[in-house]
Amino acid sequence: MDPIYENGLLQTRRELIFNAAKCLGGAALGSLMAPKTIAAPNTNPYGGLSGVPHFAPKAKRVIMLFFSGGPSHIDMFDYKPAMRGFHGEELPDSVRNGQRLTTMTSGQKSFPCVAPMFEFKRMGAHGTWVNETLPHIGSIADDITIVKSMHSEAINHDPAITYILTGTQQLGKPSFGSWISYGLGSPNKNLPSYIVMISRGSGAANQALYSRLWSSGFLPSKHQGVNLRSGKEPVLYLKDPEGIDRNLRRRMLDGISKINQEQFEEFGDPETQTRISQYEMAFRMQSSVPDLMDVSTEPKGIMDLYGPDANRAGSFARNCILARRMAERGVPFIHLFHRGWDHHGGLPGKFPKQCKDIDQPAAALVKDLKQRGMLDETLVICGGEFGRTIYSQGKLTKTNHGRDHHSRCFATWIAGGGFKAGYEHGETDDHSYNIVKDPVHINDLNATLLQQMGIDHERLTYRFLGLDQRLTGVEGAKVIPQLVA
Amino acid sequence: MSLSRTILASTLISLLFDPLAAEELPKTVQFNRDIRPILSNNCFLCHGPDKGRRKANLRLDVEEEAKKEVIIPGKPEESELWARITSTDKDESMPPPKTKKSLNAHQVALIKKWIEQGAKYEGHWAFTSPQMPALPKNINKWGYNPIDNFTLKQLEANGLTPSPEAAKEILIRRATFDLTGLPPTLQEIDAFLNDKSPKAYESVVDRLLASKSFAERMTLHWMDVARYGDSSVHHADGPRTMWPWRDWVIDAYHTNKSFKDFATEQLAGDLIPNASNDQKIATGFNRNHGTTDEGGLIIEEYRVEYVVDRVKTTGNVFLGLSIECAQCHSHKYDPISQKEYYQFFAFFNNNSDSGKQTRGGNAPPMLEVVSDEKLARIQAAEIKLKEAEKKISEYKKTASTAFDKWAIEAAKKVGEQPEEPAGLYAHLPLDEFTDRKSTDLLNEKNEVKWEGKGRVVKGKFGSAFRVEGNGYINAQGIKPPEWNKPFSYGCWVKPDAGNASGAIFSKMNESNAYRGFDLWLQGGAPGTHIIHKWKENAVKVVGKTKAKAKQWSHIFVTYDGSGKASGTKIYLNGKLEAHNIEADGLNGSIQTPNDFRIGRRSNSAQANNIEIDDVRIYNRTLSASEVASLAGNDPIAPLLAIAPDKRDAKQTATLLNHYLNNIDKNFQKLTTEKSSAEKEKGEASKNKITTMVMGDLPKMRPTYLLERGHYEHPNKEEEIKANVPSFLPTMPKDAPANRLGLAQWLTQPDHPLTARVAVNRYWSLLFGRGIVSTVSDFGTQGEWPTHPELLDWLATDFANNDWNIKRTIKQMVMSATYRQSSKLNKDLYAKDPQNRLLSRGSRFRLQGEFIRDNALSVSGLLANKVGGPGVKPYQPPGLWNEVSLSGNVRFKQDAGENLYRKSMYTYWKRSAPAPSMTIFDAPTREKCMVERPRTNTPLQALVTLNDPQFTEASRNLAQRIIKEGGKSPKERVEYAYRLVTSRKPKPIILQILTSAYNEEHANFGKNTEAANKLLAIGESKRDESINAAEHAAWTIVASMLLNLDEVITRL
Repeated sequence: MDPIYENGLLQTRRELIFNAAKCLGGAALGSLMAPKTIAAPNTNPYGGLSGVPHFAPKAKRVIMLFFSGGPSHIDMFDYKPAMRGFHGEELPDSVRNGQRLTTMTSGQKSFPCVAPMFEFKRMGAHGTWVNETLPHIGSIADDITIVKSMHSEAINHDPAITYILTGTQQLGKPSFGSWISYGLGSPNKNLPSYIVMISRGSGAANQALYSRLWSSGFLPSKHQGVNLRSGKEPVLYLKDPEGIDRNLRRRMLDGISKINQEQFEEFGDPETQTRISQYEMAFRMQSSVPDLMDVSTEPKGIMDLYGPDANRAGSFARNCILARRMAERGVPFIHLFHRGWDHHGGLPGKFPKQCKDIDQPAAALVKDLKQRGMLDETLVICGGEFGRTIYSQGKLTKTNHGRDHHSRCFATWIAGGGFKAGYEHGETDDHSYNIVKDPVHINDLNATLLQQMGIDHERLTYRFLGLDQRLTGVEGAKVIPQLVA
Repeated sequence: MSLSRTILASTLISLLFDPLAAEELPKTVQFNRDIRPILSNNCFLCHGPDKGRRKANLRLDVEEEAKKEVIIPGKPEESELWARITSTDKDESMPPPKTKKSLNAHQVALIKKWIEQGAKYEGHWAFTSPQMPALPKNINKWGYNPIDNFTLKQLEANGLTPSPEAAKEILIRRATFDLTGLPPTLQEIDAFLNDKSPKAYESVVDRLLASKSFAERMTLHWMDVARYGDSSVHHADGPRTMWPWRDWVIDAYHTNKSFKDFATEQLAGDLIPNASNDQKIATGFNRNHGTTDEGGLIIEEYRVEYVVDRVKTTGNVFLGLSIECAQCHSHKYDPISQKEYYQFFAFFNNNSDSGKQTRGGNAPPMLEVVSDEKLARIQAAEIKLKEAEKKISEYKKTASTAFDKWAIEAAKKVGEQPEEPAGLYAHLPLDEFTDRKSTDLLNEKNEVKWEGKGRVVKGKFGSAFRVEGNGYINAQGIKPPEWNKPFSYGCWVKPDAGNASGAIFSKMNESNAYRGFDLWLQGGAPGTHIIHKWKENAVKVVGKTKAKAKQWSHIFVTYDGSGKASGTKIYLNGKLEAHNIEADGLNGSIQTPNDFRIGRRSNSAQANNIEIDDVRIYNRTLSASEVASLAGNDPIAPLLAIAPDKRDAKQTATLLNHYLNNIDKNFQKLTTEKSSAEKEKGEASKNKITTMVMGDLPKMRPTYLLERGHYEHPNKEEEIKANVPSFLPTMPKDAPANRLGLAQWLTQPDHPLTARVAVNRYWSLLFGRGIVSTVSDFGTQGEWPTHPELLDWLATDFANNDWNIKRTIKQMVMSATYRQSSKLNKDLYAKDPQNRLLSRGSRFRLQGEFIRDNALSVSGLLANKVGGPGVKPYQPPGLWNEVSLSGNVRFKQDAGENLYRKSMYTYWKRSAPAPSMTIFDAPTREKCMVERPRTNTPLQALVTLNDPQFTEASRNLAQRIIKEGGKSPKERVEYAYRLVTSRKPKPIILQILTSAYNEEHANFGKNTEAANKLLAIGESKRDESINAAEHAAWTIVASMLLNLDEVITRL
């Protein structure tokens, strides 16, 4: 029998005991003093929870393209020709309706409305409005669902981004990707199940990120996102020290393994067996990760599809190609951050640069997945933590203005994974300020995404501090059936 | 061998996973142990304490309500409850299918039996005060102290016997790691092995408890609990200085402060009457939470957020309750109503810290903290300074004879002199500074004080003030005449640059349209502002010639009270200057409340890098010749020209000062002594640090229930007063309704939670899991204690013995229960897979900090310094920059000793904490974390195999092996293995490691380049006299050792 496989088996089973004891909660625990323990065999072949997925999944993995800073929904998709008519006019009180503003603009005396300083085109068969600076995304309009009625309660970055990625504004909760890793596990034993990549925007100062955004919170740390970085060491501590080659490392591990085996025979702790197998996986990761990162095998046509930035390590375009390579390798949650979308001022200059960073690569990712027949089983989600205001932050001039944070409505698009193709959901008022039809709370979208992964969002829980915690919060998130085909 | 492994592994699998469907029911069903968890998890959400969510007006958590409606004791078949949970009709069945909850057959059977036995309710065990239980009578004799009576009782009841005591080598390693976070040294191991007295183990424990490392180890745990960090968490996650609080904790554990005081001072040290600085520093406990500086924040939202965090932390840590769940609605499981939440909230709602804090350091309230080292330096300098001042004043008394003699001689040389101009009403010679104070010779009551940076340097006459680093001189009581009265003013200046700008002196209120006046340099040229309201009601003229760089120039202004530029004259070195007019027309008051300042305006026009001397103001318009005389001659000559008996006291004093400071060499020696003492004092007082503390508003801030927990929606109909939840004991009679009263309530000896929660935490540190395994949840959703009586015994014993932490911990580690071997056998594994019955010693992976500290310790690199600011050891590049606001916060690695400090001192930036720690489950510490998860992952292997910190430690360990471990590879392996495991290697292990050494030695012999590369890792220097191939090969062996399961595990 293959010893690694054997170790793996033992580990999976060991974790079941751990889960049964630690996670199932009062009901199971109440009986633990009884002499026998109930334990059903784990049916999850990927090391996730037994019984998950709860039902047949549409999608096997998620690629989340997260634009941090709050991209302007008005300047991307939620454009209305009527805006040209009230450009420069004060935002009517009836629209603002006493709603709270950030203190960056709450002291402003005037709130002049700004129509986008860009041209828009109707794209796709359903003729949805797309900014001319996003021609490639426009070209996949028929493949995506655009939700124009996303909303959140948080109005500043730190709480808003924590909210959308963990389901609550309070700190300490696991990120979306950690929940997926915890629930579904991963078919790939040589790569982490939750991978994060970060790129800088070229259009503006970059808002801060926090490792908590990919942290496992109260879940075991094996579910935390692993930040894959450009450069020589994509995973921290991946490289053997100078002077130690692969053969020497192999000999070291063999020696360690033999001694650990002795240890196991003396004390009989299954944890020792797990450790042996984890050292083996570390060894394999040392080659599987560089192999993943090596795009030299990609044909020129594919590199061209993602655009010229794809040749630059660390760019959003390169990360998109890597995301596809991860998807091919079965990584269940791939999380790309692109920074620089916080346009309080100078929006007309900064926004197109940001769009240029992401337009071709994001569209290429969808096209590439589609041509490989992988789009149906992959969810691609694209958006930020909130949108921006119709009124100008700071002075509105002929060529310049800013926009403040706006969480009452914003736009996110989703491709693949059973979401409708060529569809637009939800509607806002003329000022793109309030939702007038089909609101989708950020936790509703997360619940819907989980459903496509075969997960009932109310049943993927973890007992912590007396509560069955879940990704979608306590306020009763609901799946939005209209979004999926 | 591989065969035996396979057999054992598969035996284990079958042991673990034989699915056992039919579980035995207990003889007597206990509500708290068996029933409450079922009801709590499945029913209380709709039939529990939360009125808002209650369905069918039915409560199952209250006995009378349940028995009125759905439970008929003794008769399950007639009880609606049982009918509903067994119903197959989906409209009838409970819990309703849509909740996705359901009861299994065993749970249904339990409820049936419970009803049959009378459906007895019990109050939740943790909410009633613990009573000291009687010691159980055991069948067998075993153990060292009462703890063992309790554990043995449980073992006997389950047909188990305790494991034998662990081998001495294992025991000392276990105790040393548990109590200090470090491995034992070889000397310590040998001393213990050779000590045959019955007290041998106890003396080890006593030694460990007395060490500073014990205090550090306990503090490290408390840092997770108290969400300690060196940065502010939200938004920019900027730096802060809270390590004085962390050092307070170390000190508290070291001096064995009682838990009562430990808790009281951290929660309310500032409110203790006549609180000491240390007691105030302790309150930093509740300033450790994340704060924000985000531009768009709403201040009240975050102020409330901070209060919420303090309530949560206090609840989780001290009460073991998830009290925070009642912020938005009444608690679903524990009897905490939303109103009670806000009563508790009110204790913390009087905070004086703002919702908006800073990204660049501490925010008020804060306290200045001086380290012991610095304090000693300051005090020494102060003594020197006093001595010098005393010498000076004594010398002055004896100087008059010599002075008189000099004055006569000097007067002879002076010849005819213009008269000292009349009308002088302020004169600041800036000659003598004592305790940063100088004088106005015309009015000694006016305080003239040096603020901030700057230096006293040699002046045009005597000394002068050099403006630097935004320092200045503040003079009280000096007032210019009104705008319509004449006056004149000036001084000597020596700018570093020829185009210097800034206010040489001023009395001006910038925030009232610059009202006041100044003398200033504009691009090197002297000028003045005399202002009622800038710029429409003001005079401004600026001369056309610049004062030269690095030379003394006399600059002077005369003004005639006309309010016109034409009545305002600028003199440079006694010469009337042509000037430019920039404002012309003044007819309003120029008086301001601001003080006269030298070196700046009130808050602006800083004149850095300019030396200033002899500032004078006259209350008349001086003539050109008078100005020339001031500029052309030293100020002393006119005074000397006056006959000694005609001089007034002030004139004599000026002359004496001049004599002492310029002529008398002995006196100058004394002043040099004094200024060097002042300099030393200044240096020692530099970079003062602060620590944040709690503070209350003078007048209580009213508290209201926040609808849905939202700061924007206070229910103002009812003001809520601070109080504690009603299911817990009431506040002590005389306790104030503030944090201090809360602390008094918490530390009442009969409090049902505080002592239980505390001893359970200590237990979990030593045994790897708590008696209640949910260490921060003692509520109804928490786990049932494995040893309820033991927990109560420990808790009451703790409270009855002055909450003595070391005593309680000692008791635990002295018990036979603790000392058991952790070896597992099939039988034990089958009966108690998780060791909940404590049938053996516990065995778990060391926490990340201990793994690193172990490597540093055995390699001899560990720097054993206690306390102080966080340090920055090796970490991969770019991690801070990658997430930082605008990408410009970079990690700068420390050098030297700071690379080898204990891991608890690693600088904790909470948006990007040290990865070598978080990979080992260290929390980010953004929120309180009472117990860490413990995982086993491939990334952990990469850290201990590849992190330069560990490679360097391996190299140093190798050096130690070569130098101290004997001659032969066999001796050396034995030595090394003992260093890292405390044990002697078995022959097979000895053989594996020796042959690994031999093989790699041969390989590195053929490849010296590889050896040299490996040996170059890390900043510490290696002993070059050691052969590189030999050193590298031992480095490989050392690295293997540091990666062994046994080494990173506490057995």
